[in-house]
Amino acid sequence: MAIIERPGTGTTPVVVTPQQTFGAVKRPVQTKGWREWLFTVDHKKIGIMYGVVAMVFFIIGGVEALLIRLQLAMPDGQILSADKYNQMFTMHATTMVFLFAMPMAAAFANYFLPLQIGARDVAFPRINALSLWLLIIGGLVLNASWFLGGAADGGWFMYAPNSGPIFSPSNGVDFWVIGLQITGVASLLGSINLIVTVLNMRAPGMSLMKMPVFTWMILVVQFLLVFSLPVITVALVLLMLQRSYGATFFDVSQGADPLLWQHLFWIFGHPEVYVLILPAFGIISEVLPTFARKPLFGYPFVVFSGASIGLVGFGVWAHHMFASGLGPVSVAVFSVATMAIAIPTGVKIFNWLLTMWGGKIWYTTAMNFAIGLVVLFTIGGLSGVTHSVAPSDTQQTDTYYIVAHFHYVLFGGMVFGLFSGFYYWWPKVFGKMLNEKLGAWNFWFMVIGMNLTFGPMHILGLQGQPRRMYVWTEARAGEGFFNLGFWNMVASVGSFILAVGVLFFLINVVVTARSKQQAPLDPWDARTLEWLTTSPPKEHNFDRIPVVHHLDEFFHRKYEEDTATHTMKKVAEGEDLVRAEEEGADAHIHLPSPSYWPIVLSVGVGLLGLGTIYGVPMIVIGFAITLFASYGWILEPSVAEEIDFEPSDNDGNTKEIAPLG
Amino acid sequence: MITPGSKYFLGLTGLGLVSAVLYCFLVNPSDLGAYALFGLFISAALIAGFSIFTRDGDVATAAEAVEANTEATAPSFWPIIFALGGALTLLGVATNEIVFVLGLSVLVGGAVEWVIDDWAEKASADSEFNAFVRHRAIGAFDYPGIAAVVLGFIAFLFSRIMLTVSKDEASIIFIVVSAVIFAAGFVLAAKPALRGKTTAIISVVGALVLLVAGVASALSGERKELVKYAKEDVYSVANRGCGKEEGKYYDHEANGSVSLRSGVIATVFVEDGKIRAQEIGIKKDVETITIPRSNSTSILFRNLDAEEYRLVATLGKVKVGTTDVMEEVGTCTQLTGKNEEQVLTVTIPKPSSPEEPFKLTVPGATGEIKVVVP
Amino acid sequence: MDTVSPVKSLTRRISTIVAGAAGTVVLAGCAQNAPQDTWQPKGDNAQMISALDKIVFPIAGIVGVLVSVFAGYIFWRFRDKGQAIPAQSHGKPIVEIVLTIVPALILTVVGVFTWRTIMDLAETQDTEMIINVTGQQWWWEYDYPAQADQGITQPIITSGQLVIPEDTNVLLRETSRDVIHSFWIPALNGKKDAVPGRIHLLRMQADQPGIYAGQCTEFCGLSHANMRMEAIALSKEDFAKWVANQQKPYTAPAEGTLAKEGEGVFINQCVRCHQVNGIKDANGKAIISAPDENVYSGAAPNLTTLMTRNTFAGAMFDMVNQKCRADVWDAKTEEFGAKYLKGVTEECLNEKTLRAWLRNAPAMKPMYADPAKLEKTNGLYRGMPNLGLTEDDIDKLVAYLLTLK
Repeated sequence: MAIIERPGTGTTPVVVTPQQTFGAVKRPVQTKGWREWLFTVDHKKIGIMYGVVAMVFFIIGGVEALLIRLQLAMPDGQILSADKYNQMFTMHATTMVFLFAMPMAAAFANYFLPLQIGARDVAFPRINALSLWLLIIGGLVLNASWFLGGAADGGWFMYAPNSGPIFSPSNGVDFWVIGLQITGVASLLGSINLIVTVLNMRAPGMSLMKMPVFTWMILVVQFLLVFSLPVITVALVLLMLQRSYGATFFDVSQGADPLLWQHLFWIFGHPEVYVLILPAFGIISEVLPTFARKPLFGYPFVVFSGASIGLVGFGVWAHHMFASGLGPVSVAVFSVATMAIAIPTGVKIFNWLLTMWGGKIWYTTAMNFAIGLVVLFTIGGLSGVTHSVAPSDTQQTDTYYIVAHFHYVLFGGMVFGLFSGFYYWWPKVFGKMLNEKLGAWNFWFMVIGMNLTFGPMHILGLQGQPRRMYVWTEARAGEGFFNLGFWNMVASVGSFILAVGVLFFLINVVVTARSKQQAPLDPWDARTLEWLTTSPPKEHNFDRIPVVHHLDEFFHRKYEEDTATHTMKKVAEGEDLVRAEEEGADAHIHLPSPSYWPIVLSVGVGLLGLGTIYGVPMIVIGFAITLFASYGWILEPSVAEEIDFEPSDNDGNTKEIAPLG
Repeated sequence: MITPGSKYFLGLTGLGLVSAVLYCFLVNPSDLGAYALFGLFISAALIAGFSIFTRDGDVATAAEAVEANTEATAPSFWPIIFALGGALTLLGVATNEIVFVLGLSVLVGGAVEWVIDDWAEKASADSEFNAFVRHRAIGAFDYPGIAAVVLGFIAFLFSRIMLTVSKDEASIIFIVVSAVIFAAGFVLAAKPALRGKTTAIISVVGALVLLVAGVASALSGERKELVKYAKEDVYSVANRGCGKEEGKYYDHEANGSVSLRSGVIATVFVEDGKIRAQEIGIKKDVETITIPRSNSTSILFRNLDAEEYRLVATLGKVKVGTTDVMEEVGTCTQLTGKNEEQVLTVTIPKPSSPEEPFKLTVPGATGEIKVVVP
Repeated sequence: MDTVSPVKSLTRRISTIVAGAAGTVVLAGCAQNAPQDTWQPKGDNAQMISALDKIVFPIAGIVGVLVSVFAGYIFWRFRDKGQAIPAQSHGKPIVEIVLTIVPALILTVVGVFTWRTIMDLAETQDTEMIINVTGQQWWWEYDYPAQADQGITQPIITSGQLVIPEDTNVLLRETSRDVIHSFWIPALNGKKDAVPGRIHLLRMQADQPGIYAGQCTEFCGLSHANMRMEAIALSKEDFAKWVANQQKPYTAPAEGTLAKEGEGVFINQCVRCHQVNGIKDANGKAIISAPDENVYSGAAPNLTTLMTRNTFAGAMFDMVNQKCRADVWDAKTEEFGAKYLKGVTEECLNEKTLRAWLRNAPAMKPMYADPAKLEKTNGLYRGMPNLGLTEDDIDKLVAYLLTLK
């Protein structure tokens, strides 16, 4: 420490406040390059990264599914050994549910929720980034198991005692537990983030009942997550303690009841399926009115049925356990409750169809996928109603009939909804429209492939082929041309057609990226606030926070009702409205600054998790990094300091946000 | 960003980590040496962190000249805390671990605060800035640390009090404390002007009472029953035979913990001094229970009589060690009172045979239930 | 904003209706005689479920068709033909309410029938026979407690094929020795999980003699797919014959025969785990096998009457060759009992598979039986290991096993 004595310049000492006495690291401020993406807290960039990561995992999960179908195309298949097959179906389901479906919904929610409510970002931007990086770390941990001794092989539902250390001796299940624990934390943080955002950051005038349906469905999903994720967290902790530290929570010889795991898992697992489908419902509730040129039929009913599905969804978990040995009264109660859930779902289907009734339907790829969801989800939902009848379910459960049901609702429902969202919102996110011709190939291959793959599974299940079998035999396949062997082959062929459909989508993405044609600001003549921005939106989203007077505010600014003919007349184009906003832009716009700490914290948490497999030293290191990152997070100033922008260090980065206009 | 001073400590951190990892692989991960090297790694990392944060304690200003801080060093209580920590540590070495750990924490905490205080004071000539800098550096650790210490104190002292007083006395304590809190709340709500004073008085008095009472309780030790229970293992197998002896050791709470409705293959009743059994799935009484081999099976015992009985299972004979002597294998429940239940869980690895039947009996009651293992 | 050509939207309409009605069409394309078909009930319990199915599935089907037709109509009628932006109607609450109440009513009716059937299927008062079923990785064990009214005077223990008398209300008491399995004979009833530490009840009743296939339907590890079983229903007289055969005392093979040498091999190699009731060692002392000391889950199939069953290794393989199998499986109801009670004769034996199994069981069925990898289970096997038998040993063993009838 230096004390420098200078000759005094006068009798009064000059007090100078130093600028640079302390501080560990400079806050990242890059606006270009890979660092822009790595340290960003901007909800749009985070949404895009979620989308890319989810797509990668979709392909990985899809390859796992194709391997499964290849193995089951012929009797006594030789492509996968029993062990590998068990790993394959476990990881296919886990990857699709936790690493594709939930993150893709998060991608849409992250990108569009703030835009739809007229906000500039979410409530907790760094936590938003943390959720993304925790997901990536969790996904990496989960898939690292393939290379580190074998993946988890107990099924995605991982029933005890089969998941215990004796019956699943490899480390695969440990990786599964840690990976899910980390991604669970990511989702939980995200859910709190989005709930606070919706409750606090809506544009002036946007009451809850003027929010777009997509935002509503996302809000319901976040509440579902808040209440269901802690249950699986507990279950995973118990399993981890059993596997790594000798606890006996699921050890029957010590008095445990294996049904404990089942209850814990399904109390999470059932709300989880609504977490998966409601975002897709939200997406098509935006798409259908846009392309039918009519508002959503019965908006309050759609919103309330979404909320009631979420609520009642917590009361039906034991319908996954009808054959598990619950008493008849429990079974009967859950059976009836499950039937009850069909009612609000039916309401939504009718509302969507009645939205299109009397409309002016424009059949773009986005619309096709949305319609596909309505039809295919109806089929899947009806087979679900047949499951709700418990005695029938004791014949159907653990057979391919169940596989057919959930693939219809998940693929025909959720995935089609997501693809509809891709085609609908691609111009807004990337400034270019996905090619409609390739889109048609994409759609029809996926529809045909999907029905060919999962349609026959209804027959396979009802005629006695159980799930989770690495081979099926001729002896149990029945006679005749249309025996189980035939339908297995059809399903396998269908799965490849489906894969080609997905390939068309990827080709479409590449072709679009290469094309130079820019998309108009409002290509679909849409209805909600996210379209009141440039394509892509500026970093600060809105030049001026819009004041909301109606549901479908954007539509009402463009159209007025002609009182004479009672038809809608266009009074303004999207471009005009955005220009008007630019002219009235806010003078000072404050945006959250990027940060290193979310990614560092995720790495620490990842190491902490792996330490339960690899020993205390790794736990210590992981904990140290986590603690270090936490304090860095707490201590960093909320805005990047002046000194962080010094031109000599930072390649011309400035505090100026992207220029207006 | 990485200052010269911190480079040294970062190097030490790296060295510590590498050597710790190598030590784990080459020697023994649970050795003291491994812990020591990890300790080195962690402490060097900590110091490196502080070093970077405080820019090596060097000062620099935008302006060229810096005016030395001509003010006298402010009085500080950290040296006293540091000394207290040292004293407690030494005391703890001589007495018990809790005091040792407490002393160590106070010592380390005091040392860190002292060092940061010193650095912050000399960071610049602007004392406001210095206070701000000190707060930035250590504030995030200050509050959790203080909270932990205070809460630890309260929890420890309160627990000593609760362990000493009897159940009735504890009730009285809770009534008094809640009455005081209620009264204080009333005062605070009714007379806002008195808030500061009231809170201060209550906190100080409360802390004093807690301290005195807590120390007194700690010194006088736990109440009698707890000491007794800690000594005896009332329910251990050594304390019970399987005959009709007196119920000195008897789990009165057993019937509250039996809920294995799906896990029980048979229920054995004692009614009017006679034993009878019902198997799951059959509504009428049976004379024989069939149990699968090598499978953990539970049998529920219900006593419907006033007298205390226990259920005894005799499961054949085995050789004692390497001799030819055969001893009976069996197990039993504890004595069970009227309308109470006990569960017997058996895993029978060998089949029964007509020469060696297995059976369930109740000493003092008539009858027996045969157990067949195919 | 294109208008869609009538052809395109017609295509759309047709394809929607076709998709919706596809279910009906596809039903015609089913396998015949699928052994595990859930829609061919052969017992009272399966019939109760089927009766419920006959209410629920048509309702679901009709609703599906109606919705698809309605949707198809909408897609065709309201396509963009250049009409003006339509009136922005926000909904009609009365429509919503009706569309909520109607499904609720339908589901209430279904719910009432469902409740009744659930309670009926849980009934145990009319039980006429009890069998304990114990699942283990990866085979099923059945033991019949002594029940005088069924002619069973001492416990019978078998595996793989569950033999029951026709038209009798049998109650299965299911449990497991290791992980969760599930017992499912689709022709006779729905499934019920066999959970370790718990005992679950399942009703089983067959109207007529026959062989009914089933499979374990709760994922239980490596060879879950290979864990199968059959239920065999015999007429009351045939069942009495079967019981009598199961309870007759063991007869050792005659001295000097290959089978007697096989008995020796069996005592050396197999009796560690597999029990044959009444087998005696050279000194005439009864041998009790010790699977609890060799197998993690504590038991191995009892082979006393191995050749009365025509499948083995958890019903994964046929004990009989193709011709004899067809003989039994496709037998007419009146002849079935006699054919089944014949058991496995030397001509019918599926020698190739049985020998392959004895030669190297883990190569035939994935199991955890590698002696080098048993630390996690304290040296206990989870499945049958490769015993390193010579071809000579196998010859003798096969001869011996054929006598276990």
